[in-house]
Amino acid sequence: MNIRLENIQRFLAPLRYNFKLKIGVSIFLLLLMLGIFEPIINKFIIGGKNPIEIGLFKPLLPPSISHILGTDMWGRDTFAMLIAGLKYSLTIGLLAGAISTLIGVVMALLSGYKGGIWDVSLNGFTNLMLVIPSWPILAIIAAYVRKIDIVTMSILLAIFSWPVAARTIRAQVLSLKERAYVDLARITGLSDLEIIFLEIMPGLLPYIGVGFANSTIGAILAETGLELIGLSPGNIVTLGLIVYWCMQWGVLSLGYPHLILAPILCLVLIFLSLNLINIGLDEVYNPRLKKITGM
Amino acid sequence: MMAKSKTINRSSSRYIYMFILQKLLTYLLIMFGAFTACFILLRFVPGDPLGTLLTSIEQQYGWRLPPEDKARIISEYKRMFGLEGSILEQYILFLRRVIFEGNLGPSLISFPTPAQNLISRALPWTIWLLGISTILSWLIGNILGTLVGWKHGSKTDTVITAVALCLSQIPYYYLALLLVLFVAFTLGILPAMGAYSAELAPSFTPEFILSMLKHTILPASSLVLVSACGWLISMRSLIISIQGEDYLLFAVAKGLKKNYILMKYAFRNAMLPQVTGLAISLGFIVNGAYLVEWIFNYPGIGYLFVTAINLLDFNVIQGILLLTVFTVLTANFIVEILYPILDPRIRYWGK
Repeated sequence: MNIRLENIQRFLAPLRYNFKLKIGVSIFLLLLMLGIFEPIINKFIIGGKNPIEIGLFKPLLPPSISHILGTDMWGRDTFAMLIAGLKYSLTIGLLAGAISTLIGVVMALLSGYKGGIWDVSLNGFTNLMLVIPSWPILAIIAAYVRKIDIVTMSILLAIFSWPVAARTIRAQVLSLKERAYVDLARITGLSDLEIIFLEIMPGLLPYIGVGFANSTIGAILAETGLELIGLSPGNIVTLGLIVYWCMQWGVLSLGYPHLILAPILCLVLIFLSLNLINIGLDEVYNPRLKKITGM
Repeated sequence: MMAKSKTINRSSSRYIYMFILQKLLTYLLIMFGAFTACFILLRFVPGDPLGTLLTSIEQQYGWRLPPEDKARIISEYKRMFGLEGSILEQYILFLRRVIFEGNLGPSLISFPTPAQNLISRALPWTIWLLGISTILSWLIGNILGTLVGWKHGSKTDTVITAVALCLSQIPYYYLALLLVLFVAFTLGILPAMGAYSAELAPSFTPEFILSMLKHTILPASSLVLVSACGWLISMRSLIISIQGEDYLLFAVAKGLKKNYILMKYAFRNAMLPQVTGLAISLGFIVNGAYLVEWIFNYPGIGYLFVTAINLLDFNVIQGILLLTVFTVLTANFIVEILYPILDPRIRYWGK
């Protein structure tokens, strides 16, 4: 228990002194809060109605106090839609990120810790998945399946984004299992599972964090890409879908740039914050890297 | 130690052949596996492109086909598209057609034009757009990265690196949208649609080439802006890490000029991984920028792919998927073979 508490403290301590990690986590938490409290915000600004219901307000109102970002072509409050889109985009991204990290961790532990034939086959498979162009395949599946719900979408995205996480984590498993304290645990007679969860896992956590952030970025990128060509999960609004609608209406030529800029800004903030978390984690747990890259 | 390295040198050509043979076999095996995977994927995705097409034609013309005619049409189409018989028969037919005849079958939408004709018509545009932007971004990123890395810690470095870090986070297709919005519509300077202006026919007249260049600027710059930042960041890190090396300290101690050290020592060593990187990204050209082409209506592979996806044009989708897999795997293979030539520290033998 003692060791565990120490680990948590050690895990959180970098937040205090690493600037990039601090900024990244703050932006991401802010976005996450907006997403989580979407129903409350929604109630406050449009009275709890479905943000994608058509014709709630007059179309194309300019930004004002009652509609912070104005309304769109179909008379919907852009801000309410933006927050809802943020919620669903983050849900899909985080769910896909979690699934692919899980696959990545299992693959990495099997191939890195077990070694031998496990390593040859699983690592080969990971490398094959890394070079196969995944986005076109995703687009094909999404085009044929048409009606996709959030969970199916996340699983599909995860299937194609786990290899990056697996590769990062495997390298770390390879290095960790050679440490003296792992040898010691093995001599003491701990089982493989005990060694993995008690000895290796704590050292692996930052890398799992990096893998998770990377897969989440990859998943959201792939998903918005699919939406840009009109392949979106039905019945919900996501940030990518708002951009797609704006393109379809020709918002560009009509002169309502804020309608399309707001969702793009949100997405860029998601990517930026996750990447800052990534770089921050790398700096904290790879002190040599800071010296090398100087960033 | 000396004796050992000599024996290795003497028999090194054998190792090279073994290495290349081993890589070639793996490459062919993976290619075969990937083609099979594509075949399986495309046969087992649910959906009925032929039925959908017939229904949409029926709706368009407002009358219904008798079911027996419909069945006849569908079976005739299935024969032409190689979708008859058991999965195994289809698979053999698929391999024979694709590998030995280079025939991808007719397109469903632009029937009866073969899919390979549509693809080869689109391919030059993609190679041009992606080729020019990959090379440009590589040059810009590496030059700026070297300069910034050489002076790291300075104000210029901090500003440029921060900007590059943010810019590289913007997905290139959103940058493309922003460029369409601000440069093409608001300022109205550059065209945002197509690869050349509609009233000109493709030819080698100066007028056409000028129009083509003008139409390339916006899509290319959306790609260049994002990927140059990526190159910049990696080049900067390389230069900084080289500055900590002993041989550089020695060069400084010898009293060599700073610019000489930069060009002859730091830059040349940092170029190695960057050249490899360039080779890899040139290999990915074909599947580089589906969405940029889509946004700019640029008539390349990506545009063709997205159109085919939206209309479920089976053979075109399959053709582009196979082409992409082929080019990516081949590029990877070539890079693996050339890697030891580019970087003498990596040997063909041993691990």
